[in-house]
Amino acid sequence: MTAPLSHGSATEGPAIEFDHASFRLNGRPLLEDLTLLVKQGETLVLLGRSGSGKTTTLKLINRLLLPTAGEVRVNGRATAQWDPIRLRRSIGYVIQDGGLFPHFTVERNIALVPRIENWPRARVEERVRELLAKVGLNADLASRYPSQLSGGQRQRVGVARALAADPPILILDEAFGALDPITRSEMQKEFRALQRRMQKAVIFVTHDLREALFLADRIALMEQGRLVVDLPVGEFSRSEDRLVRAYVEAFSGLPDISRV
Amino acid sequence: MTIDSIRARRQPIRCKLLLLGLVFLLFFPSTGCERHGDRIVVGSKNFTEQLILGEIFAQIIEARTPLPVERRFYLAGTFLCQQAILAGRIDVYPEYTGTALTAVLKQQPSGDRREVYQRVERGYESKFGLRVGPPLGFDDRFAMVIRGDDARRLHLQTLSQAAQFTPQWRAGFGYEFMERPDGYKGLVASYGLRFAEAPRIMDLGLITRALKDRQVDIIAGNNTDGLIPALDFFVLEDDHHYFPPYEALAIMRGGMLKSHPEVGAALGELAGAISDDEMRRMNYAVDGEHRDPPAVVKEFLRRRGLIH
Amino acid sequence: MNFLQFMMANRQQVLDLTLEHITLAGIATVLAALVGIPLGILITRVPQLSKPVLGGANIIQTIPSLALFGFLLPAPWIGERAGRLAVLALALYALLPLIRNTYAGIRGVDPAVVEAGRAMGLTDRQLLFQVELPLASGVIVAGVRIATVLSIGVATIAAAIGAGGLGEFIFRGLAMVNNQVILAGAIPAALLALVADFVLGRLERRLGSVHLKS
Repeated sequence: MTAPLSHGSATEGPAIEFDHASFRLNGRPLLEDLTLLVKQGETLVLLGRSGSGKTTTLKLINRLLLPTAGEVRVNGRATAQWDPIRLRRSIGYVIQDGGLFPHFTVERNIALVPRIENWPRARVEERVRELLAKVGLNADLASRYPSQLSGGQRQRVGVARALAADPPILILDEAFGALDPITRSEMQKEFRALQRRMQKAVIFVTHDLREALFLADRIALMEQGRLVVDLPVGEFSRSEDRLVRAYVEAFSGLPDISRV
Repeated sequence: MTIDSIRARRQPIRCKLLLLGLVFLLFFPSTGCERHGDRIVVGSKNFTEQLILGEIFAQIIEARTPLPVERRFYLAGTFLCQQAILAGRIDVYPEYTGTALTAVLKQQPSGDRREVYQRVERGYESKFGLRVGPPLGFDDRFAMVIRGDDARRLHLQTLSQAAQFTPQWRAGFGYEFMERPDGYKGLVASYGLRFAEAPRIMDLGLITRALKDRQVDIIAGNNTDGLIPALDFFVLEDDHHYFPPYEALAIMRGGMLKSHPEVGAALGELAGAISDDEMRRMNYAVDGEHRDPPAVVKEFLRRRGLIH
Repeated sequence: MNFLQFMMANRQQVLDLTLEHITLAGIATVLAALVGIPLGILITRVPQLSKPVLGGANIIQTIPSLALFGFLLPAPWIGERAGRLAVLALALYALLPLIRNTYAGIRGVDPAVVEAGRAMGLTDRQLLFQVELPLASGVIVAGVRIATVLSIGVATIAAAIGAGGLGEFIFRGLAMVNNQVILAGAIPAALLALVADFVLGRLERRLGSVHLKS
């Protein structure tokens, strides 16, 4: 069993790099000429409306899709050259509502990647306990099934599952989108605390500007398959770009926007 | 803690599957081997003469041996009986030499009684491991049958004589007769027969009535049909000796005889015990007088001194 | 005497024929499952094959069962023993529900779950055995249930070609014009089918319920 990706110390280059990457499906361009990079330890938020190409971008990272032009590199190597299984096991993936296996208990869900990586049983059990604590879940939820959990609990399990094998890269697709505002806010805070402790390369997709401003080190705004701006979070709201202004205005009518 | 509870959940499903598997395994061996243990299963085809012969076999085995006998009659034809005895589902059934030779061994028919018997005996032994009993004493060959009044009116005795009149007649034949190599095709060739129209193909049970009711004028009946004398029918003589012999005898499973030679001995006592006439009489008792085959058979066996 | 008394008087034969019947239908269903379920899995992997495979099984099913028995009679080796022939014909008949339910069951698994599994690095094999098949198992067992009940029913016709089973009572009763005998075959056959349907239905519900989402 090959060792998982290291946490950025050995390789000096970016953890994830898009090099003029494009993706077309049946002639329709879903992503055009994207150039972007994410360093180890950095959180990049992909912001944009539906159809802007955010999800496509994520899927190019874990090779659920391959670029039709250009290259996508993870840890310096093109995804096309990676063994897809090894690549995906080194990337934690969290989606809306968790995508948990309904026929596995919470524990079995979380333990999935460690088990298929043949970790010794004791280590798996310990890791599950550790993660449940880390995401703030009670240990006796371990034997429940996803259908017996609330939305917020499912989401936490989803995060725990993604973190189980301690992958150096984490990609999240509207991970908190289906939660009620209070739970959502809790999750955001907890996630930021987690992120400060671990030093993973994180790409977080959302269409919510406030969430982006709260969680990001950098924000990449996308529209219709193209990258519009790519700025550090502090500079984002001050940008003069037309689309950024449109976003800010759309969110400025709402309370508590002044997180700049 | 939790991993074990996962295992516990899956246990009942696995158990059920195992149970189903075991149930299947139990029944697996039952195709084709000797399941009956100490029973003798007597089979027969589904017409009266066969039911009578099957009953004769059953009653004599019951009289001579302590073995229980199961009756599995009404199997619808030669092929089914052959399949059943090969699969071990029956141990013995009545067959005819002509049928055995042409329909089962698929050899060319012949007119010589001895020769046919020997070929059947050898063929069944070598090909199927089945044993053939001695001839029971009568010949149920195909008979071309017409109404008595037609025979008298036209002064007909033989098939060759009838051949001039058949273009005005309608014929009625059963499925087997039409298909068998020793049936319709050969007959037409041997006598140059033609009929007013294509022969009507009917169930054996309906064919006699059709002749009586003048729906047909000539049928392929059987030599030992009980209704022939009763309904004033006439059997045309097969002067070309086209029809091969159909001596009745018992077909027996080799394996059964090995374990129960007393069954072979019991059936052997029936050699030559039934004449053409006797068979016709028994057939008539069942078909014409509507008596029960077991009673008719018991009476016959008593009369011949085979049982008391 | 009524048919219950008839069955008691002939209970040995009733038992023999019932056992023969279960064997015919049982082996046929197992064979059909051994071929049909993997085929169903295959066509979820190779979509171009789904049309021809499902179409082929469909055609086989539209052939009247008695005719199917008849077609196979002249075949070498198969046609020589009524038992083999009957099992083969019954198995062919049972293919469609098995293939179709396996296919539908796997395709019916929530695609988000499958994608999540793939994204986490499960190999195709692991996805199949740990995710898709368990989640499809309820529907697949429904297919087994349908195939079993179908086989038990069509096996009554197997007696027409000499394969034995409860159909023998039915055909015999028809020839004798005797209702007791007909019922002695028809009722056990119907009971067998009902029991199989019930037992497999329980299993199906059990497998299906574990995965109900709220």
